[in-house]
Amino acid sequence: MSVSYWRLRDRYYRIIGSICDSCTYESFPKFNTCPKCKSHDISDKEMPNTGKIISYTLSYESMPGFEHELPMSIGLIKLDNGVNIVSQLVDSEVEDIKINATVKAVFRKINADGNSGQIYYGYKFKVINA
Amino acid sequence: MIIPTMKSSTPVYISGYGGYVPKLRLPTSDIAKLWKGSGSGPNEAKSVANIDEDTTTMAVESARNALSMSGLCDIGAIFVGTESKPYAVKPTSTIVAQALGVHKTLAADFEFACKAGTEAMQVITGLVGSGMISSGIALGVDTAQGRPGDNLEYTAGSAAAAFVLTNNSKRSIAKIEASTSYVTDTSDFWRRQTESFPRHLSRFTGEPAYFHHVESSVKQLLSEINLKPSDFKYAVFHQPNPKFPIQVAKRLGFTTEQIQPGLLNPIIGNPYSASSPLGLVSTFDVAKPGDRILLASFGSGAGSDSFSLLVEDGIMDKGPNYIPLTDIINDNKEIDYATYTKLRGILK
Repeated sequence: MSVSYWRLRDRYYRIIGSICDSCTYESFPKFNTCPKCKSHDISDKEMPNTGKIISYTLSYESMPGFEHELPMSIGLIKLDNGVNIVSQLVDSEVEDIKINATVKAVFRKINADGNSGQIYYGYKFKVINA
Repeated sequence: MIIPTMKSSTPVYISGYGGYVPKLRLPTSDIAKLWKGSGSGPNEAKSVANIDEDTTTMAVESARNALSMSGLCDIGAIFVGTESKPYAVKPTSTIVAQALGVHKTLAADFEFACKAGTEAMQVITGLVGSGMISSGIALGVDTAQGRPGDNLEYTAGSAAAAFVLTNNSKRSIAKIEASTSYVTDTSDFWRRQTESFPRHLSRFTGEPAYFHHVESSVKQLLSEINLKPSDFKYAVFHQPNPKFPIQVAKRLGFTTEQIQPGLLNPIIGNPYSASSPLGLVSTFDVAKPGDRILLASFGSGAGSDSFSLLVEDGIMDKGPNYIPLTDIINDNKEIDYATYTKLRGILK
């Protein structure tokens, strides 16, 4: 596992973002300066695990290491707190992946460094109510 | 022969539970078509983990459900029972802990073929009952392996089950009344280091292994706590196939009706360490306060753990996020054998 991924594992495992302690603005991924009020009083915040699809695509072109997962569905999701997040969509029929479909976060394998290297885990989303 | 019945000095309760079954199903008729030309296996289908699922991902899903139901955050132990760890050396339990945001905790992986999950329950019962920790999570989870063409391939499925055990009686779903464990050195099923698939001694897995150990642990439990099969509303036995749990129930004096709610092998196969724990999840879904449940696991090598559980009022409030196991199982998609081999990396 790369050191950078390990450092960010709470982002991937638990969808940890940020909340501004001054104006309560929330964002994912984390930020150091609030983009809304410029405050530096920032805390970690676990994002909600449900939201709605606001856009999506079905990719037939693989990124290296994802050849076995084609075609791959990728969604732009508005979480229940209004924060947008991009995620792979899994366990969902293509006909169910549509704008405004409700999705829920699931914990999945993202990739691995070959058969002997480390395994990368993180969030993906699945449609729970088309 | 004396097998001590284990009772904690202070009461231990189950305050949350969660099951996880992957979406994909392989009909056993598809396996039979390839290897025998026709027919089917003893079960209709088996659950198959997707290409991005493994023991760790399923453990996290079931643990999140159990923890959400319990409402507890003071978790002092996370023990994962499995024989299909993604890493031979590196614990699954620490990844589960990180995903749950729990760090001040014991964490370990247990292995005892198909009974590692109930073993984790017994150890946490001891830790909670002794006052060393207030709560812990016990998991049984496997992406079960079966060599292509072997009889095991028909039944070896994938699933997870998690239970939060605690000394807090406020949200008690069930009280753990007592448990027993019975073991011998019996080589009915094994997998050597570096081997991808287990081996077994065919019919040897029945009488000297499954039936001897399950019957021994259950009889001792009933004797020690002075209960009889009719005192239990439900019973859950390990399910290597659909036939064995029905047979052992009959031999011990339980009826088919008592084991029906927890009998999942016909539709998802045998998810090894998750088999009897998931049967308990399914049984909890229909249980009412005052019901008594017998849980009896079996693990090759060989051993059996038996529990007496008394369902309490917390069973009526599973929380707003709880999804019944039936709904999870019914949300499925059929795949063919070729897809199965691709997803599970069987063709090498």
